[in-house]
Amino acid sequence: MSLDLTLRAAPTVPLEAEVLSPARLAGLSAAEAAKLPVVHGNERADVGDFFRIGGAADGQLDITGDLSMVKRIGAGMAEGRMVVHGSVGMHLGAGMSGGEIVVEGHAGDWVGAEMSGGRIVVKGNAGHMLGSARRGTPVGMRGGEILVFGNVGNEAGNGMRRGLIAIGGDTGDFAAVNMLAGSIVVLGHLGSRPGAGMKRGSLIAMHPAELLPTFSYACTYAPVFVRLYLRHLRRLGFDIADSQVNGSYQRWCGDGIELNRGEVLLFDAAGTASRG
Amino acid sequence: MGSPLRIVNGRVYDPANGVDGAVRDVCIRDGEIVVDVPPDAKRIDATGMVVMPGGIDIHCHIAGPKVNLARKVQPENHYGDVQLRTRLTRSGTGGTVPSTFATGYRYAALGYTTAMEAAVTPLGARHALEELHDTPVIDKGFYVLVGNSVLLYRLLHEGRREEFRHALAWWLNATKAYAPKLVNPGADELWKGYRNANVTSLDDKIGALDLTPRRVIAAFIEAANELGLPHPVHIHCNNLGHSGNFETTLETMRLAEGRRAHIAHIQFHSYGAAAAKSQSNPTSRARDIVEFINAHPNISADVGAVMFGRSTIMTADAPLAYMLRRFGTGKWVNADTENESGCGIVPFIYQDRVYTNALQWAIGLELLLCSADPWRVVFSTDHPNGGSFMSYPRLIRLLMDREFRKEQMARVNQKALNQSGLRDCQEREYTLSEIAIITRAGPARLLGLAAKGHLGVGADADVTIYEEDANKEKMFSAPRYVIKDGELAIEDHEFRVSREGRTLQVAPEYDRGIEQVLEPFFEDFYTVRFANYPVDERYAPHAQIIPTAPQAATSPAGSAPR
Amino acid sequence: MLVRGVLIEDTFAEAFTMRVARLIITGRTPRWAREAALKLTGFATSVIGCKCEAGIERELSEGETLDGRPGVSVLFLTMDKESLPQQLIARIGQTVLTCPTTACFDGLPDVPDRLPVGKALRVFGDGFQGSKVVGGKRYWRLPVMEGEFLVEETFVMQKGVGGGNFLILATDADAALAAAEAAVAAMASQPGVILPFPGGVVRSGSKVGSKRYKKMIATTNDAFSPTLRGITESQLPEGVNSVLEIVLDGTDGPAIEAAMRRGIDAACRPGVKAITAGNYGGKLGPHHFHLRRIMGGAPRPA
Repeated sequence: MSLDLTLRAAPTVPLEAEVLSPARLAGLSAAEAAKLPVVHGNERADVGDFFRIGGAADGQLDITGDLSMVKRIGAGMAEGRMVVHGSVGMHLGAGMSGGEIVVEGHAGDWVGAEMSGGRIVVKGNAGHMLGSARRGTPVGMRGGEILVFGNVGNEAGNGMRRGLIAIGGDTGDFAAVNMLAGSIVVLGHLGSRPGAGMKRGSLIAMHPAELLPTFSYACTYAPVFVRLYLRHLRRLGFDIADSQVNGSYQRWCGDGIELNRGEVLLFDAAGTASRG
Repeated sequence: MGSPLRIVNGRVYDPANGVDGAVRDVCIRDGEIVVDVPPDAKRIDATGMVVMPGGIDIHCHIAGPKVNLARKVQPENHYGDVQLRTRLTRSGTGGTVPSTFATGYRYAALGYTTAMEAAVTPLGARHALEELHDTPVIDKGFYVLVGNSVLLYRLLHEGRREEFRHALAWWLNATKAYAPKLVNPGADELWKGYRNANVTSLDDKIGALDLTPRRVIAAFIEAANELGLPHPVHIHCNNLGHSGNFETTLETMRLAEGRRAHIAHIQFHSYGAAAAKSQSNPTSRARDIVEFINAHPNISADVGAVMFGRSTIMTADAPLAYMLRRFGTGKWVNADTENESGCGIVPFIYQDRVYTNALQWAIGLELLLCSADPWRVVFSTDHPNGGSFMSYPRLIRLLMDREFRKEQMARVNQKALNQSGLRDCQEREYTLSEIAIITRAGPARLLGLAAKGHLGVGADADVTIYEEDANKEKMFSAPRYVIKDGELAIEDHEFRVSREGRTLQVAPEYDRGIEQVLEPFFEDFYTVRFANYPVDERYAPHAQIIPTAPQAATSPAGSAPR
Repeated sequence: MLVRGVLIEDTFAEAFTMRVARLIITGRTPRWAREAALKLTGFATSVIGCKCEAGIERELSEGETLDGRPGVSVLFLTMDKESLPQQLIARIGQTVLTCPTTACFDGLPDVPDRLPVGKALRVFGDGFQGSKVVGGKRYWRLPVMEGEFLVEETFVMQKGVGGGNFLILATDADAALAAAEAAVAAMASQPGVILPFPGGVVRSGSKVGSKRYKKMIATTNDAFSPTLRGITESQLPEGVNSVLEIVLDGTDGPAIEAAMRRGIDAACRPGVKAITAGNYGGKLGPHHFHLRRIMGGAPRPA
């Protein structure tokens, strides 16, 4: 059985709870886990002040409740599995290097910021700066996967260097801004200025988008690697049509004010139809 | 000022008073070292410990507009090094450029009680003083950048040497600075006027002016000596960082002609040209530099040693910083302060495998190990340029521990090591007394701070007590006690009081008539009106004016400064 | 031992340890995957003259490939570790990279020791290539005139088996050919095995060395050549007028055994006198496939 935490007192100000990660709680009794430190606003507190603890640690951690005010859940985690039955606050899985986090609800900003491995699944929406670089650093997500089934905010994949971000819904503005490499797949619509400042990497999207004038159209074709990603995502539960797997994509090269080695691939329904 | 205090049984290192490790008591009352205190005074048992005056950093960058720019440009240094609030101390951030409060606490926690910010534009004086006000525990002051002042240049250009001196004195007063600072004198005029231009020799013509760096430097050395400033002009020479710059440095020192002058971070100015035409790497000329200083008691220098790891290059030398931008970590800032100075920030990482970085590291050590007079070649990393002040304990160990040094030498780029003279002086080990000189007594004397850097009666009761340890890095990393102005600021490694230090200033005399000369220039060329320009007392609530007096060109090593 | 009247000789096939890779070639249609595979595996019958042995293992449906397109599985073998990547790089570069619509993936279970094949091929992209990591594996995208060629960065190399064989001794050439065809057809669906010779069949079995030409490392197997029955030490039974050999390479011994069982069983038909196998006295190759042991476990023909 897994270790179960249930939020019993909703924090009134943000609660920083980096300790909520499978490895930190592994092998602890409920009483010991309750003693782990969290920061509530500018005051120190214990996990037990906010959570009821049951079950026993076996590598999986289940957390239940509306954790929208709880930050840094799973930040820096390297192993284990965590399922949050509810929504979470900012910095979910920031800097994580391994393991898996599943959030049944929504997540705040900075999901998986500068993560280097592992997988984060958000069944609902996520906020801004998904998988992005933190302020001041040029490099965002360095590996792993972030799968958001809903919509995300601005600057998803800011400075991303490796890994995969998949977004089932729409993005805000500046998706893939300053991207260095890696892949972002967006099944919904892109906001303004996608790919601004990208050096390398791929932004793959399923709807027409207005690109910056510093992106240049190359061709419409059916890249095999997109099939790999889409089939991979389909296995992970994303709703992907055969026409998208088999489809043609417009390739736009950019950003021309940077290295110009990145690409935005936009699903081309007309080109796909003509392929028969 | 705290209750009377008696430190008993410690081994005392007070080189200014000729005390070299003798076990004796140190008594403190009303913020001063006294002969004796009543028997019921609080006692600190310093058995097995080393007692020294509080450390003094003669050259660092801890406050003012450029320091703040460096903080702003590196938020990643902040979330990686968070200083949490305690009952007595405020929160802050660290990294190579800590926030103001963290700077004060961290200096104090290393046993330092005084630090001098080495480059503030006159217009930035208010900002610097406000930040220094927020830099707790330690005493501090700043050097004001006057070496590229358009107005002072105009006076020199027109040959008005008297008015130049009055203007310089006015500026020191107006900004509440401690000393005049020159940075790459002459360069700003070229840098502002011509694309990527810089001064390359002391005899370059400075733009359209009838001036050369040589004339400018000589004028400042002369004026500072005439004003009787406690610290002479503080010079960042031309050609910093360039291969072959040691000749410029020697030329600059010769300009003093027996008058006092202080050369800043001299490691960065001790480079020889490439060993052969086919090579591009600089070589070490530390030996030439240090021999000149050994033979010229009017000259002093701080080393500006380089330590491997993260640093932040921050300088008023805008053309230099612009050149270095492509060697940094990607971010850089270059800025200009009207009529006064340039500025550049480059976050940087010194790597032991990189030839140039290893050579710089070796030269810093070479200068210190070959120096014959620790009173005049004193300790600094030009924080945070050569490395953070947090690396001082490691640098002390490198000086004191031959075996450790050899180990470290084996890890660096060997080509660079072979081009330095470090192996020739590798047997020397600094004694505790010598460390006390280069980190305390020496800087105090060079700064003209008669009440600091020693434990004689009447001295400021700034005392640091270290637990002895064979590992000197460990020993100097965390003193057990730090006493500031007679108060136990740190006891058993923990802060005991929350206190503010003093702001050290000079106030040289000048002819008030000079204001009529200066005012029209301000009205024409400055964004600030003349009347609004001087900094008033409110910006330095804990000011201490260090008197000016005719200064001897030299002071014999080992004698008391008072 | 007799199978439907055909004598199974009491002997064994002697096979060698080789290095094997499995390539999955996919294409827009089955045809183009096959075209690439045919070129890739062309002139790859024997390491003696071709430096590698390769063949199509089987065709793959859309549901069986990584990219969801029809494909072909190819086994590719060399004698030593060094030549496998060399041959793969040369052959994939000339035959798959060049073939319209195809992509090339690794098909063996993952191991840490992998050959940098796609990594070497990527430089054809002249700096315009890019890579993607999907499911933990890196793929290189090479821009080409048609669009883009995708090739996995590294391929698994594992130990395989080369030189499994059996000989069909028949009363006449037609009977030998019919039996060989039946054997090949029966073995076609066996995973982990390829038949590197034309149509899976070799007529010119060889012996090691030469009786006359010192430089020849392999010459005709005169003991089994019917025209030499009178002038050499023939091993052919009475009434045998034609012999064909089936050579098998595979990923492992059991796969080869299973294929041999099916093949021999299918070859035991009218006109075939005996089934035997080639060996070198058992001293050269570590794998010995004893015909009677294999056939002892043979399933009853349907």
